[in-house]
Amino acid sequence: MIVRPVKVSDLPALLALVQQAGPGFTTLPANEDRLSHRVRWAQRAFAEQVERADADYLFVLEDDDMRVVGVSALAGAVGLREPWYNYRVGLTVSSAPDLGIQRQIPTLFLNNELTGQSELCSLFLGHDQRHGSNGRLLSLGRLLFVAEFPHLFGEKMIAELRGSADEHGCSPFWDSLGRHFFQMDFSHADHLSGLGNKSFIAELMPRQPLYTCMLTEQAQAAIGQAHPNTEPALKILQAEGFTHKGYIDIFDGGPVIEAPVRNIRTVRESLELTLSLGSPDEQAPLWLIHNRRLENCRITVARARRVGSSLVIDRLTAKRLQLQPGNSVRAAMLPNQQQQAVAA
Amino acid sequence: MLVLRPVEQTDLPQLQQLARDSLVGVTSLPDDSERLREKIAGSCASFASAAEANGPENYFFVLEDLDDHSLRGCSEILATAGFDEPFYSLRNRHFTSASRELNIEHGVPALSLCHDLNDHTLLRGFHIDANLVRTPFSELLSRARLLFIAAHAPRFAEAVITEIVGYSDEEGHSPFWDALGKHFFDLPYAEAERLCGLQSRSFLAELMPQYPIYVPMLPQAAQDCIGRIHPDGQEAFDILEREGFETNSYIDLFDAGPTLYARTSNIRSIARSQTATVQQRPQIDARGRYLLSNNALLGFRAIMAELDFQPDQPLSLTPAMCAALNVTDGSPIRLIAL
Repeated sequence: MIVRPVKVSDLPALLALVQQAGPGFTTLPANEDRLSHRVRWAQRAFAEQVERADADYLFVLEDDDMRVVGVSALAGAVGLREPWYNYRVGLTVSSAPDLGIQRQIPTLFLNNELTGQSELCSLFLGHDQRHGSNGRLLSLGRLLFVAEFPHLFGEKMIAELRGSADEHGCSPFWDSLGRHFFQMDFSHADHLSGLGNKSFIAELMPRQPLYTCMLTEQAQAAIGQAHPNTEPALKILQAEGFTHKGYIDIFDGGPVIEAPVRNIRTVRESLELTLSLGSPDEQAPLWLIHNRRLENCRITVARARRVGSSLVIDRLTAKRLQLQPGNSVRAAMLPNQQQQAVAA
Repeated sequence: MLVLRPVEQTDLPQLQQLARDSLVGVTSLPDDSERLREKIAGSCASFASAAEANGPENYFFVLEDLDDHSLRGCSEILATAGFDEPFYSLRNRHFTSASRELNIEHGVPALSLCHDLNDHTLLRGFHIDANLVRTPFSELLSRARLLFIAAHAPRFAEAVITEIVGYSDEEGHSPFWDALGKHFFDLPYAEAERLCGLQSRSFLAELMPQYPIYVPMLPQAAQDCIGRIHPDGQEAFDILEREGFETNSYIDLFDAGPTLYARTSNIRSIARSQTATVQQRPQIDARGRYLLSNNALLGFRAIMAELDFQPDQPLSLTPAMCAALNVTDGSPIRLIAL
């Protein structure tokens, strides 16, 4: 299993994959034209032909039979081409000590504060691949890529996690807030958003802060709440040091988690090591390994042993990475956890 | 005979009884003797002042039954809303959501705290004995204030407003308050209104949401309260509506009751009232019912009477009417038909 940059020839497989994901997966809609455009754009990004503002690094997870079984992406920067909106959950205090009044009212502030930060997005792992280290490879491989090429990214990495929704895809947060300003249902707005109209939609929203006590109880409960399907992805990123600092999605109230790049575990702990061949046994730890290339980037997970400045891996792993003994790799030990990122 | 006159310090005990009976939401009439004493003193000073423009004056009137000297109602005119402290209301206006790209445009009503009604003259504190509700004496109590404004126009603003008490149920719960103010105060509606009467109203207003509240986000019961009148406030509303007052986009920030507005010069009792001079007669062949006042300031009096009024002729009044109005032959009179 490897993570590598997407190619135009992946398009049919990619389309089939995102069709599995369903309508909630708005950043990668199952729309051939949109997908084709995005793939071509990603190729230019990996070829360093675009500015950071436009860079969209789309990766695929490919098995040894060269089947595309997962997808994930990294945006060089959000908000530099069109405004990027979030709500920040702040606080309003209503206080009159003489009357014994002291009310704390969480308040949503519309903002563009995450402008210029880089985003982890568009992760989806095929249903029959949700085992072993696949989810971690697909998600954390991106962070090893960031560790290798920090100049391509902002100071912080962010990830917007899908918010709560009922079994019909209705979002209580949307129903209590956004719906009033759009007169359309969530899936339609979310669809438009996925088509790249996100900022147009955001511009329909009121600019002034909103008191959460005006929302329904269900909507209040949805603030900063990740959809159960994204719970594994959330746990993986939390273990990497990502935290929720109060930013939420303006449509469904899902949490935006963030971490300074230099504090991300995989970035911090990754090492430049020299590849050597051997046969690490079943007790050897799992490592996330990157071949340190941009356009021909290959990232995989394998059992490996570190010996001084060398990383000993087996021949098949080296082949997957398209590397020879003596080549340099960037590697980080895979955290000891059982989470399976399936969608985010 | 019932006469409307400026309040006096000796009215305090009776006034307190009136305050006790007044409708929750008539916050300018607190059931608190110290506050009432201050109000009376403030009113006496206002009538005695030599104001040449509208300032902080508050003119407090009482309706007295001359037969037993009981007080049957009271009403006030605050010369300038927002003079001593900001006058808060909620403005109900559309926030327009528009996107050219998506070809969407629609308005969402939003309530915003504002001071837009500062500087207007405010009619307030209308309260009448339950036995006199929906009698012509309600008209006297409310509209005599307009005759007073007509007689002393420079003391008042170019526009007059009043807040009509909004809807609350029989237990005193206001669905609007429960959906909005309660979040910011954690007090029952009646208690908030009581505090408003005792403390400064603006003090409480400053605890209210400073950012717009979007109407569709309120529960339906609260939305239904916007501009809705408390049943006991309907008469006050009807009287002023007939005077040419209109509702506008402003509502009360606690109970969402409507605000009535009129240009001073367009108010019926001001624009159409007429003046005449008194001619005392033992008897009158009455032809119609009128509100009449003596046009005075400190000694202002107004009554309701059956008269035989002919334009450009002296106005015949009985000795009892003259006594009530404290006028004699040749005194000026301002009157308007009921």
